[in-house]
Amino acid sequence: MNIWVYVLRRLLYVIPILLGVCLIIFVLFNVVAGDPTHLLLGKHATAKQMAELRHELGLDRPWFFQYLDLVKSAFTFDFGRSWSTKQSITTMISEGALPSLTLTIPGFVLTTIFSVSLSLLVAFYRGSFFDRFSVFICVGLMSISSLAYILFGQWFFAYYLGWFEISGYDSEFPNWIPYVQLPVLIWIILSIGPDLRFFRTIMLDEVYQDYVRTARSKGLGEKVILFKHVLKNAMIPIITYVVIQIPFLILGALLIESFFGIPGLGGITLNAINSSDFPVIRAMTVLSAVAYIIFSVITDVLYTIVDPRVRLK
Amino acid sequence: MKKMITILLSLGLVLGLSSCTKKEISNEKVLNLAVSAKIKGMDPIYANDLYSSNEVARVYEGLLEYHYLKRPYTLVPNLAEALPTVSDDGMTYTFKIKQGVKFHDDKAFPNAKGRELTAEDFVYSIKRLADPKLQSLGWWLLDGKIKGLNEWRDKYADQPKVDYTEEVEGLKTVDRYTLQFTLAKPFPQFLYALAMPFTFAVAKEVVDHYGSEFINHPVGTGPFVLPEFKQTNMIVYTKNPTFRKKTFPAEASDEFKEMLADAGKQLPLVDKVVVNILVESQPRWLNFQKGKIDYIGIPKDNFDSAVIPGKGITDDLKAKGINLTVTPSLDVTYTAFNHDNKLFGNEKLRQAMSAAFDPYTANKLFYNDTALPAQSVVPPGIAGHIDGYKNPFIGPNVELAKKLLADAGFPEGKGLPEITYDCPSSTISRQIGEFFKQQMAKIGVNIKVVQNPWPELQKKIKNRTVMLYGIAWGADYPDAENFLQLLYGPNKSPGANGSGFNNEEFNKLFKTAAVLQDSPERTALYEKMNRIAAEKVPWIFGVHRQSYVLFHSWVKNYINADFNAGQAQYLNVDIKAKQEAIKKL
Amino acid sequence: MENAQVVTANMTQNKEQKSKSLWRHAFETLMKDKMAVAAIAIFIIYSIIALLTSVDIIAGDWAKEVGASYSPPSVENWFGTDIFGRSVVAKTLKGTQVAMSIGLFTATLSAIIGIILGSIAGYYGGKVDEIIVWFYTTFSSIPGIMLLVAITFILGKGLVAVYLALGLTSWVSLCRLIRGEVIRHKDREYVHAATAIGGGDFRKLFMHILPNVLHIVIINFSLQFQVAIKSEVILSYLGLGVQGRPSWGTMIDDAKLELARGVWWQLAAATFAMFVIVLSLNILGDALRDALDPKLKGK
Repeated sequence: MNIWVYVLRRLLYVIPILLGVCLIIFVLFNVVAGDPTHLLLGKHATAKQMAELRHELGLDRPWFFQYLDLVKSAFTFDFGRSWSTKQSITTMISEGALPSLTLTIPGFVLTTIFSVSLSLLVAFYRGSFFDRFSVFICVGLMSISSLAYILFGQWFFAYYLGWFEISGYDSEFPNWIPYVQLPVLIWIILSIGPDLRFFRTIMLDEVYQDYVRTARSKGLGEKVILFKHVLKNAMIPIITYVVIQIPFLILGALLIESFFGIPGLGGITLNAINSSDFPVIRAMTVLSAVAYIIFSVITDVLYTIVDPRVRLK
Repeated sequence: MKKMITILLSLGLVLGLSSCTKKEISNEKVLNLAVSAKIKGMDPIYANDLYSSNEVARVYEGLLEYHYLKRPYTLVPNLAEALPTVSDDGMTYTFKIKQGVKFHDDKAFPNAKGRELTAEDFVYSIKRLADPKLQSLGWWLLDGKIKGLNEWRDKYADQPKVDYTEEVEGLKTVDRYTLQFTLAKPFPQFLYALAMPFTFAVAKEVVDHYGSEFINHPVGTGPFVLPEFKQTNMIVYTKNPTFRKKTFPAEASDEFKEMLADAGKQLPLVDKVVVNILVESQPRWLNFQKGKIDYIGIPKDNFDSAVIPGKGITDDLKAKGINLTVTPSLDVTYTAFNHDNKLFGNEKLRQAMSAAFDPYTANKLFYNDTALPAQSVVPPGIAGHIDGYKNPFIGPNVELAKKLLADAGFPEGKGLPEITYDCPSSTISRQIGEFFKQQMAKIGVNIKVVQNPWPELQKKIKNRTVMLYGIAWGADYPDAENFLQLLYGPNKSPGANGSGFNNEEFNKLFKTAAVLQDSPERTALYEKMNRIAAEKVPWIFGVHRQSYVLFHSWVKNYINADFNAGQAQYLNVDIKAKQEAIKKL
Repeated sequence: MENAQVVTANMTQNKEQKSKSLWRHAFETLMKDKMAVAAIAIFIIYSIIALLTSVDIIAGDWAKEVGASYSPPSVENWFGTDIFGRSVVAKTLKGTQVAMSIGLFTATLSAIIGIILGSIAGYYGGKVDEIIVWFYTTFSSIPGIMLLVAITFILGKGLVAVYLALGLTSWVSLCRLIRGEVIRHKDREYVHAATAIGGGDFRKLFMHILPNVLHIVIINFSLQFQVAIKSEVILSYLGLGVQGRPSWGTMIDDAKLELARGVWWQLAAATFAMFVIVLSLNILGDALRDALDPKLKGK
């Protein structure tokens, strides 16, 4: 099959998924969101005012049209205005995306580099004490709540030892670096466990493949096998795993951003949850779902380019 | 592998080095503040929460303000030339406004030069507050109070466009600098309304120019300028270069005499105000201790490490040059009954629950023993509070509570359903809820605590789907009416009376008092109402809080106040002292 | 490891024998792994504590004041007291009940949904499969935290809402795996044999195919269990968690106010209790995977 036909087919499949995502979001949030009039009108609203407002927001129209609006917003990225702050949601998102990314991208890149290289090391020393020890540490790191890391990290490293900024942010380029150091570090600690565990499994899967035996029987050194063959083959699942994480980077980090005062999308989301600001919650959900769908298409296409057998399935 | 390690090392170096570059304290006078909630926006008519209204008041100004250095609270002219002349019947207020006051320079004006403020701007701003299309959050303040304004509002509710040029009888300009209000009914609190950010002056050109983005482009006449508001966690204001001549006050109440050092100096006293938004209390507290925040209310749980009961601040903090100021707040915390619920029509039951509740322990646990257990609704410090009055149903009096509960028809709590207690979702609210549950368990009343996001709780109160809810009220202006209205029957939800308490005698007294100017006669009525509120137990009263604020040695003129929206212009920073003190932190 | 591979090789030769020997072998492998044995022991201890606390034999008096507010750890109160002067140890023990029940119900719920949808999709194929795949692809496109928030908003507050919210948002990965396995199995000889002797769809699916994919369910269960325990903390932080009784999540949430004043014991006790059980479940999950399914590592 031609690659372009495959890409086209994959893209067409996006449509039902997107409609479905919008449907779920619509159902869930329209059940709960119910009545925005209170948030918008404050304490002293009259019934008449409420009815007017509902009309103005289009909440008295048939649900099908309201659903279509939601679908439209997934394409146009026009989400209207927040109920609690009256700010344009699109502006909120575009202003919040950058701070989130300055936290999540370094965290993500560093974690990936660390865990891939570590997983190669543990694959090399598989079964040894070092292997078991690293796995144990990883699992240990994963077993502590993120909130505990944040509370303790901020108090101990930033305040007590004074190594990092306690909190804050600066939107100018080099100036934000000191503010994101500790958050990035916490991000790495939080995500290195699952990553390393997954990559190790992939590496070990490859290590036991036939081609490795063949290579070994040809007398190639273990290091050469590991770097030349195993790593190369393991790259496919690793890339898939990594690429699919990217859309979630936009969402930022709920708790980290809130504690470290980073004005990103995570903090915006958290704030929206706390103030029942449903248009914002809905917009963030649609945004991340769309990003996820786009990146899963990219992953699939990449995958078929690397490994053409997949297309035949 | 080696390559990878080199890359990692160099990355680490870059990160590490940049953190070593320490910032020097410049000679600019900068005020660093911390607030604990997101700021919604900068439009005065939407500033219905403390945080937004404080920000609005840095940029915008109103006709009146509270004297910075005088207690009890005294209104003084701000944009007005003098206090208004009031007609004999008390219904017409005539203001002269200051001449030569300029709006901030902004591209919405011709040549981007701020134009002069006129009386017409106030007419426009107050009509904006009443505009039926804008859903302002402060309309309640003037609802039914100004002649013709309600009619104007109703008329345009159904029409596609609101006509601001149509004259409203009670809201007129006599000449360029003279403004005349005519009230629809006596409203003794009217002048307080003119000191609240809702009625601050905005310019029509700016509103028209920015449309729905006006909320992010504050252009006022105030001491500070903010070119554009963004939803970040840091707001930076700079001194308004075209600010009119306004000087630090030359008179002060005795307790603030020492602040007169700055008397006569042109305001604002600092060059820049940096507002840091820090929602979580841990980073707020840690930043203060490092000197990155100039003053901070003591978070409840840091209290012991900051203050020794009865003695003030700990030596540790004293050595760092940190000062403490304690002021009672005009507020009351309470647990309200939903009076629409038949169960709570039973007065004895309400009294029993009140007697079972221990406000003293609550004070210890949640307010570090600094608050004052409330006897009734009006806090001390304003007329209407009865000094030395003891409410007979204030606990802890388990015996009385048990007896009352039996009298109510529920001996040992038998026959009572599970009672839900709704509260906001913060950690402290949850703990207060748990405490309440514990207290009620002592007399066999079974409580279930339900946490809600703040808007959700408001909605539930409004829809009358709560049984009990824990909440607090802080004064909008220094008048007991602002507290007593919470129990006035006709104010029933969706009005301010969320509990739905409705007592004929109380209502009658309130109606009489509401039209009276401040007088011994009115105070007597207030006290009478306060007593009814105590004995009928419409709520289980909590405490009147005190605020404990710590500030660094370099901060001058700090006063903690309930109505301090325009405060930043009066504060001063001693740069030399800061450079010295910061070394010790 | 090497031994396990031999078992897989056997699989194709004799179905019946394979099944038995796989389980027996897995058990033996597990028992040889000291860490796994310790993990099982800890899991059992936690379960017993949870059971005993739910009938108030242990920590029934957690609500009692045993000392002053925030007294530090001492001989009587190993982990000090909380704001109300209640014993942190008792609260931590009582919290075990919430944690274990959340783990159990959530993992069960997600297993049930995952098995049913996964096996139906895999077995019937065609349109049914397409719809179910569409559904879970759609579902997994929405970030879990947003779904959690929406569902808890709908269901209201309380323990049941937490079970449901966490259960309803965590079934997709298992569903995917089951579907794949059922597709692999449904054309095997033993299933054809069952058809030949007149087995209905239901019988074939549940009596013949499912037992062969059960190991996936077990592995997934142990992992889902610990994820749920950790998620409870986030829900508590958002004010959507368990109410009216102690849980590790609310204890950690309390700590965000306490830590700066030096009250570290609530955070320490809850974090430690959680650390031990989550670590054990993780180790157990890994050990189960190695023992039960050498081919499935990490997928």
